[in-house]
Amino acid sequence: MFRIWRVLLLILSLAILSYARSSTGNSLLVVLDPSLSKDNYSIFFKGLEEQGYELTFRAPKDVTPAIIQDGIASFAHVILFTPETKTYAKDIVPQALVDLLSKNTNVIFALGSKQTPLTSLASEFSLILPPPGTPLISHFPERDTPATVVPIPVSFPSPALTSGLSPVWYSGIPFALGNNPLLVPFLNAPSESFAADTTEDSGADAIVDAAERGGEGLWAGKDMSVVTGFQTIDGGRALFVGGIELFSDEFAKKEVTKGVKSGNAQFARDVAAWTFQESLVLRVDGSTHHKVNETQPGDKYTTNDHVVYSTHISKYNPTTCTWEPFSGLTDMQLEFTMLDPHIRTSLPPVQGKPGEYSVTFRIPDRHGVFKFVVDYKRKGWTHLHSSTTVPVVPPRHDEYPRFLSAAWPYYVGAISTSAGFVIFSVLWLAGDDRGSRRRKGAKAE
Amino acid sequence: MLAYSLPSDISPSTFVNTASLVRIVALGLISAAAISSRLFAVVNFESIIHEFDPWFNYRATRVLASKGFYEFWNWFDPTAWYPLGRVVGGTIYPGLMATSGVIYNILHALNLPVDIRNICVLLAPGFSAFTAWATYMFTKEMKDESAGLLAAAFIGIVPGYISRSVAGSYDNEAIAIFLLMFTFYAWIKALKTGSALFGTIAALFYFYMVAAWGGYAFITNMIPLHAFVLLLMGRYTNRLYVAYCSWYAIGTLSSMQVPFVGFQPVRTSEHMAALGIFGLLQIVAFAQLIRSHVTSKQFQDLLFVSVISAAVLGMAAMVLLTYKGWIAPWTGRFYSLWDTGYAKKYIPIIASVSEHQPTAWPSFFMDLHMLTFLFPFGVLVLFRTLRDEHVFVIIYAVMGTYFAGVMVRLMLTLTPCVCVASAVGLSQLIDTFMDPREPDVGEEEEKEDGSSTTATPSKKAAKKEKNAAPVTGVGAIDDIVSTLSIAGGLEKDKSAKAKTGIFGLDTRMVVLFNTAAMLLFFVLHCTWVTSNAYSSPSVVLASSNPDGSQHIIDDFREAYYWLRMNTKEDAVVMSWWDYGYQIAGMADRVTLVDNNTWNNTHIATVGKAMSSPEEVAYPILRKHDVDYVLVIFGGLIGYSGDDINKFLWMVRIAQGVWPDEIQEPNYFTQQGEYRVDDQASKAMKDSLMYKMSYYRFAELFGGGQVVDRVRQQYLPKQGPTLDYLDEAFTSENWIVRIFQVKKEDLLGRDLKSANGFAQGKKRKRSKPPVKRRVLA
Amino acid sequence: MLLPWLTLLWIPLYVLAAKSSVHQQLVELAAQNNGVIKLNDKTYDLLTSPDRDWSVSVHFTALDKRRRCNPCREFDPSWNAVAKAWSTVPRSERDHHFFATLDFDDGHTVFQKLGLTSAPVVHVYPAAEGPRRPVNGKLAPYKYDFTHGFDAEPLALELSKHTPVAIPYRAPIDWAKWGTFAVILLSGLITLRFISPVLQSRWTWAIGTIITSLVMQSGYMFTRIRGMPYTAGNGQWIAPGFQSQYGQETQVVAVIYGLLAVSFLMLTVIAPLQKSAQRQRAQIYLWTAVNLIIFSVLVSLFRTKNRGYPFKLFL
Repeated sequence: MFRIWRVLLLILSLAILSYARSSTGNSLLVVLDPSLSKDNYSIFFKGLEEQGYELTFRAPKDVTPAIIQDGIASFAHVILFTPETKTYAKDIVPQALVDLLSKNTNVIFALGSKQTPLTSLASEFSLILPPPGTPLISHFPERDTPATVVPIPVSFPSPALTSGLSPVWYSGIPFALGNNPLLVPFLNAPSESFAADTTEDSGADAIVDAAERGGEGLWAGKDMSVVTGFQTIDGGRALFVGGIELFSDEFAKKEVTKGVKSGNAQFARDVAAWTFQESLVLRVDGSTHHKVNETQPGDKYTTNDHVVYSTHISKYNPTTCTWEPFSGLTDMQLEFTMLDPHIRTSLPPVQGKPGEYSVTFRIPDRHGVFKFVVDYKRKGWTHLHSSTTVPVVPPRHDEYPRFLSAAWPYYVGAISTSAGFVIFSVLWLAGDDRGSRRRKGAKAE
Repeated sequence: MLAYSLPSDISPSTFVNTASLVRIVALGLISAAAISSRLFAVVNFESIIHEFDPWFNYRATRVLASKGFYEFWNWFDPTAWYPLGRVVGGTIYPGLMATSGVIYNILHALNLPVDIRNICVLLAPGFSAFTAWATYMFTKEMKDESAGLLAAAFIGIVPGYISRSVAGSYDNEAIAIFLLMFTFYAWIKALKTGSALFGTIAALFYFYMVAAWGGYAFITNMIPLHAFVLLLMGRYTNRLYVAYCSWYAIGTLSSMQVPFVGFQPVRTSEHMAALGIFGLLQIVAFAQLIRSHVTSKQFQDLLFVSVISAAVLGMAAMVLLTYKGWIAPWTGRFYSLWDTGYAKKYIPIIASVSEHQPTAWPSFFMDLHMLTFLFPFGVLVLFRTLRDEHVFVIIYAVMGTYFAGVMVRLMLTLTPCVCVASAVGLSQLIDTFMDPREPDVGEEEEKEDGSSTTATPSKKAAKKEKNAAPVTGVGAIDDIVSTLSIAGGLEKDKSAKAKTGIFGLDTRMVVLFNTAAMLLFFVLHCTWVTSNAYSSPSVVLASSNPDGSQHIIDDFREAYYWLRMNTKEDAVVMSWWDYGYQIAGMADRVTLVDNNTWNNTHIATVGKAMSSPEEVAYPILRKHDVDYVLVIFGGLIGYSGDDINKFLWMVRIAQGVWPDEIQEPNYFTQQGEYRVDDQASKAMKDSLMYKMSYYRFAELFGGGQVVDRVRQQYLPKQGPTLDYLDEAFTSENWIVRIFQVKKEDLLGRDLKSANGFAQGKKRKRSKPPVKRRVLA
Repeated sequence: MLLPWLTLLWIPLYVLAAKSSVHQQLVELAAQNNGVIKLNDKTYDLLTSPDRDWSVSVHFTALDKRRRCNPCREFDPSWNAVAKAWSTVPRSERDHHFFATLDFDDGHTVFQKLGLTSAPVVHVYPAAEGPRRPVNGKLAPYKYDFTHGFDAEPLALELSKHTPVAIPYRAPIDWAKWGTFAVILLSGLITLRFISPVLQSRWTWAIGTIITSLVMQSGYMFTRIRGMPYTAGNGQWIAPGFQSQYGQETQVVAVIYGLLAVSFLMLTVIAPLQKSAQRQRAQIYLWTAVNLIIFSVLVSLFRTKNRGYPFKLFL
């Protein structure tokens, strides 16, 4: 029954999503500041359109279309290309944007070097922005572009990015990352780069002094990020880009070194794909548990039972727009928890059954309300969480061993007493009652 | 010489027949009175289960009725003590539920579709009628039928027993008192007749009692104590031997069949007295046997010494076994009866229960009224004859009064004894003043009645007792019949001339009138107490409007119904343990702790969560999957049994487990006062309990003075704020407040700053982590 | 480990000298008085100076009779016993913790400064410097909680958490108690032969039983467990409220119960023995009247406890 449902659901989702590449929908709102021209980002937008997204454009101060209508998000994805915008229409406030994420809408934020509502919002996402007006500067490698336009090699490959990308042109601000496990950095600043409000080398000492006075240290080095994703607890995804130029046609076409085109176009597509839940999207299709040698899930288990727990995991395939069974997770774990995990064991994929992960274990000798918990959290990937509650009960009254060898003395005692009683009764009843009869006889006489 | 004339044309047989008819009618009326006076609760409110524990019993009974006995036996309740769960079958006394289940099945087999709830509600009144009958039988053994009737009438309406057995008070005590009295009756009967049959009946009812109530330990110790005292008094008889051994052997073996009891009868100190007396009786019986066959004086001395030494050795062995851990020492609950300071020091959870408080004298008077002073008098009357069974009542009286003084709830075990002794005393008074014979003044040289004034050596008493035993029970009737015959002039022997007695009719009238008036007052008192004090279900509260009409406060049910209708079925509700059973019973939701206070740590966890600041409590709540927190708040209408008043117990219990994190003195002001107003201590104001209780309370007063009507204190106008919880529901009179635990923040922030962001507060610009400075 | 030594090096030598002399002084003061330093305003400041490298337990009390502090006097012996037990600890440990007593009459200002309005109070000041400075840096004094009463045992147990080593307090054997117990036991055994007729008399036991039941029913255990006073401070002997009572109430109620029981006893047992009709009649009327009146008194007493009680007899 369950299987049929799942197939039906699959077909249905196929029908709906046949044009979209995202797993959550294809409507996309682009809030574009009037100072920016749509044509400057044509490669990026066209790419999205080709993928099947329906783009709607809107200026920040436009009233329609609202991003949230009657408490329901109007679009599946939102791009905020408003790095310098200070005022928005009423519906776009920081709280509403966080609300969007809670409604599983994915958002791309482009930040600028000025103080805007978005920069203050960024701190809610544990991003720490440098003081206003301090873009990323690097004098290396030597090149003909200004110091603020920096080629950044894609140094640590995230599974969301195409491997072997050429360096990416970047112009904008860097930001430090707070201690938040939900952040997914995609592109970090080069080691030689720093953030400063002047490009003049002569002002270097002043920068260091200012940094000391500010108590923040120098904004420099590869720990700063420039493009960072954020996946909320519920799975909504956001992307923070320190400079909007990254998506521009100009940077996409610009060569990094002679003859090598920049990686911008592909990089933008990759991070957008991640943000719009095309790549690294997993889901738990369902999980079952049953006793060994049984097939039906028990509504409760007895202590020391051997149980099989299995779960089915799918990955979204953006090329076919389908969910496909996925056996690629090798480090998944199952916890059998009551307050604390009583058992923590690896949950390996089953050979020959794609998408199936299964483990057999013995339930601990402890009754209570336990949970099968699968909690798989890896940076970039959808967080998988599955929790099934099941009571573990002590054996029933008739499930204990009936005869114990240790109890033989008691058995013998009980049996011998009973036998003795029977023998005594038999003998006594059959015995001769001469004495009393004689007395009676005497009386009768 | 007679004070008043008696009809002379009645034959003795007519008299006997009429007397028995009157007795039956009287017993019937007593039962009716007992049942109907317990129905105040149903008449005033409705047919509803009362209080806390009954809700669990009711829930368990429903399981039993719907799923059958075996399922009930193996019932594991995953919704209680989440996530530990509760093995219900092994942790309860199933007698009560089994009784209701049997009644339910019988009625349904007769095609009487009675709802299980009504059976549960009316079980206690029904059994009170049986109790009256059992008390009648018991007292009959003590004196005669008329004393029995008085005792039955007393126990039928005495508030001390009604307090635990009104309709809806579906608790173990409801059937346990009947079982207690009937076991005692069977024991006395067995002792008097030396019948193994009655010993077995006593054992069977003892088993029923064990299955029904933890208070069975009272029987387990009373009967051995009685036997022991009889031994000390030199009243060993073969009847005692037969009665005790048949009761102990069968009773103990059968009591071990109750899963909750298991091997306790051979492993715990509470049961060792019974075992020890059993052993002692064997030794004494053996010694008696030898003594009757051997005459040598030296040998008998030797025997005496060896019996004593065997007893001492047995004692020493038990002490050693206890010391070695083979026999569990006295449990805390039991031990706290003797060392009254023990519970407060080491088990605050036991001391926190209001039923475990010591009893002040008004409670005694309220529950027993004139029986308080009739009872010592009755005991004195029993001392005059001092038969074996009277010794039992006397021991019971001493033990019962002590226990009732130490713990309010044990008033219940005292009550039957008080009724019996008072009835004996009062019936003696009435006998004396009803007796129409006047003393013969002609005889000058009066010999004093030996039994009343001089101290009779116990051996003599025992001998006399033997003679008396067969005729008791019918003695009174014999007496009256003989009196009647005198009146009829049929027989004129010496018995007509009583040596002592009352002169004149007026004296008789005065005393009897006074007695009747007191009995009437007693009835008025009992009715008043029952209807006013003991008939409130405590689930539904009543107050009176200015015009005198009754106003029903139904906040509890309102809130539980809200929970049932508006929350997920597996939602976990945290509350203080008092409300656990009610939430499980009425709201059908998962609870963390309930009134079955077996796990101190788990209760302390709840106590800690309640008494900690929000950010400390939140991880505890999340770990236990708590969805809702329920608090009881009486500050608006002045309901004094609310959680703020119980709060110190939460603190104390939590302190017992986490002395470093929770400290009671922190919840008092500098001056050592317990306050909730603006002078309240910081720990108090930060505690989750305080915040939940007074959250948005100030808004209710619209800027006026915010007053807490229970504690009569003025609260600050700016009430507490909550970041980790949301108010979900507040009942009409604010008695029940339910808060929802927020989910973790979407963006991984702590909920306090998330809340600040949602309310539009500007956050201070955060600085990069310090490690960057080293790089610089 | 190295840190304290380093800080020591940094401190100029004279400070070190001054401090050590203060410490020496304190050690001597403690030695003089069985391990308890008698404080006044000045020595208090000295003892709790912010650069102390010792910890100290201070007992604030008011022992003067005029202060009428009964708990103070009750607690004082326990405190001294614990302090004395501490003075038996080897010198190397002992001198890192002091016990001190500050009487209200010697140090008003300290009481005022600390805002203490009641006594006894026990504060434990942790070491502010040196190796025994608390790791969490909390220097606020720990306040002893009197929930376990004024006994020495819980006090020693609780304070041991703050001393370098546990206080070797052992409850002294109460020789007087054991002695009296032994004497009573022995004399009981010796006189057993003589008093055995008394013991074997049922009326001895009857009186014992009756008195027990009367005393228990009048709430004796309540006053004992709750430690209720004999009367209220203002001479009132009826405690207000239904669930409360004073010591004197117990006695009054027990006597009332006893009188009522006696009246029944007289009517039932004694009166019939009377041979003279007139005297018997008088006796019966007398005891009936006593019964009625005392019962009325009892009911009116109950009415004062339970205001809502609707019934009354003659009173």
